[in-house]
Amino acid sequence: MLTLTGVVAGYGGGDILRGVDLTVEEGSITCVVGPNGAGKSTLLKVVSGLLRPRLGTVTFQGKSLTGKSPQHILRSGIVQVMQSRSLFPDLSVRDNVELGAFLVRDQAVVRKRMAEVVEQFPIVRERLDDRAGSLSGGQQRMVEFARALMLDPSLVVLDEPSMGLEPKAALMMYGYVRQMQSDGRTVLLVEQNVRAGLELASHGVVMEAGRVRLTGTGAEILLNPQMRQLYLGGTVDIDPALSASGPRGDADAPSWPA
Amino acid sequence: MLIAQAIIDGILVGGFYALMAAGLTLVFGVMDIVNFAQGALVVLGAYLSYALSVHLNIDPFLSLLITVPATSLLGVAIYWVLIKPIKRDRVVMSLLVMFAVATLIEGILDWVFKSNLVQVHASYVNKSFQLGRLNFPAIYLYAFALSVGLLALLYTLIYRSRFGRSLRASMQNPVAARMVGINTDRVSAITLGIGIGLAAAGGMVFGTTNAFNAASSYDLISRLLVIVILGGFGSISGALVAALLMLVIQDVVAVVWSPVWGQTTFYLVLVVVLLLRPQGLFGRRAVRAQ
Repeated sequence: MLTLTGVVAGYGGGDILRGVDLTVEEGSITCVVGPNGAGKSTLLKVVSGLLRPRLGTVTFQGKSLTGKSPQHILRSGIVQVMQSRSLFPDLSVRDNVELGAFLVRDQAVVRKRMAEVVEQFPIVRERLDDRAGSLSGGQQRMVEFARALMLDPSLVVLDEPSMGLEPKAALMMYGYVRQMQSDGRTVLLVEQNVRAGLELASHGVVMEAGRVRLTGTGAEILLNPQMRQLYLGGTVDIDPALSASGPRGDADAPSWPA
Repeated sequence: MLIAQAIIDGILVGGFYALMAAGLTLVFGVMDIVNFAQGALVVLGAYLSYALSVHLNIDPFLSLLITVPATSLLGVAIYWVLIKPIKRDRVVMSLLVMFAVATLIEGILDWVFKSNLVQVHASYVNKSFQLGRLNFPAIYLYAFALSVGLLALLYTLIYRSRFGRSLRASMQNPVAARMVGINTDRVSAITLGIGIGLAAAGGMVFGTTNAFNAASSYDLISRLLVIVILGGFGSISGALVAALLMLVIQDVVAVVWSPVWGQTTFYLVLVVVLLLRPQGLFGRRAVRAQ
């Protein structure tokens, strides 16, 4: 469904992605994990059009999306929920959700989708006229999900959706991700909570230093002995002095079971 | 009675200062750019109305039908040609760009119109209405009505239109705005166009009520910046309140004390307010989500 081939991308003079090859199967929940600096968020920026790749191609449902604008990519059916703070805090919940369908000109379609989304997310219905900034972190995430569904996307891209959520809210959020899959959507997510992310996912992808290192089912990746090495000691070529000092200073490590 | 007259004068003059300041604060809100050229653009608007009045005998208010669209297009062009191509340090670099634009406009105006002071003329410039012992200069009344009309139009655009919604979204979270499909470059270009169009409308009023030359822009931009800072950068309602407040205080002090102190008070009020409320009257302490 979504294929990245040899994608090289970065900011300024440096490359963060150094030749990423990745396939996201239709109907899957594909979870990308990896230490900080692996290029996970950069990968999502390339998919959503915020960052143009220097080399390589991105194709979606057989059409090239390489270097296309965010508007073009949204219209092709890919919607991304950003890592955090992606609402417009001074606008109402209603305005925020309706902005998800900014590209839809037909108001009848917008109203119909709004009704569906309100049905699916009770919090949106309850807080429709409140300022989005007055909602809790978990509630804001639900509004972000609701907004993402307003374009009726075939691929939903989630950047660390559990970040900043308390466990109960995170569980609820994962429930909505499963719901998206049962509704026929494909989900590509980056997760800091490696275990939770891979348990949720049908497909797992491990990135390190700008490349894809492992792929498989979520369970396969979880059980792969190389994973523990990656999170606790880095790759084999790592400086022994660094590995002696423990995890390489990344916030992902504590979520990995010791 | 003198004080009542001073308050009325302050409100009437404050109206068109609000118009010019609204353009400045709107551009800052959307683009994070302090448009240093706003003063020069006001003077450009004044000269355009002056030229149309002198050469084609067009009424200053009617001249806005030409000058506002023309300067708005100039704003859109400035964005696409000078601001958009900036790749790094956009906020600082665009400050310098707008400063260069101000200098260029001032230089051209000085070259074309020389440095003699001029004023835009119309039959009603010296007319006034009496209400009891209060005096209402016609031009200020018309200008106030124009300001109220244009600000109402601006309000409708911002709060009641699809473009307005995309503008407010871009102000609050530009990256998220792009992620829902808003073309933030287009929004920025149009906003700069609107901001500069409002400067031109304010310029016509400035030119009919003051003798001016190209160098008048310095005093103007200082005052507009004071109003925008006092109101809270990026807050349109703040700019309206601050413009009326500042002009009323200045006029009242000028009458009660002396005109010299009227000018000084303008800046003193700013210092006092900023000491008590650094974010301005309507500014928000919170940093915008990046």
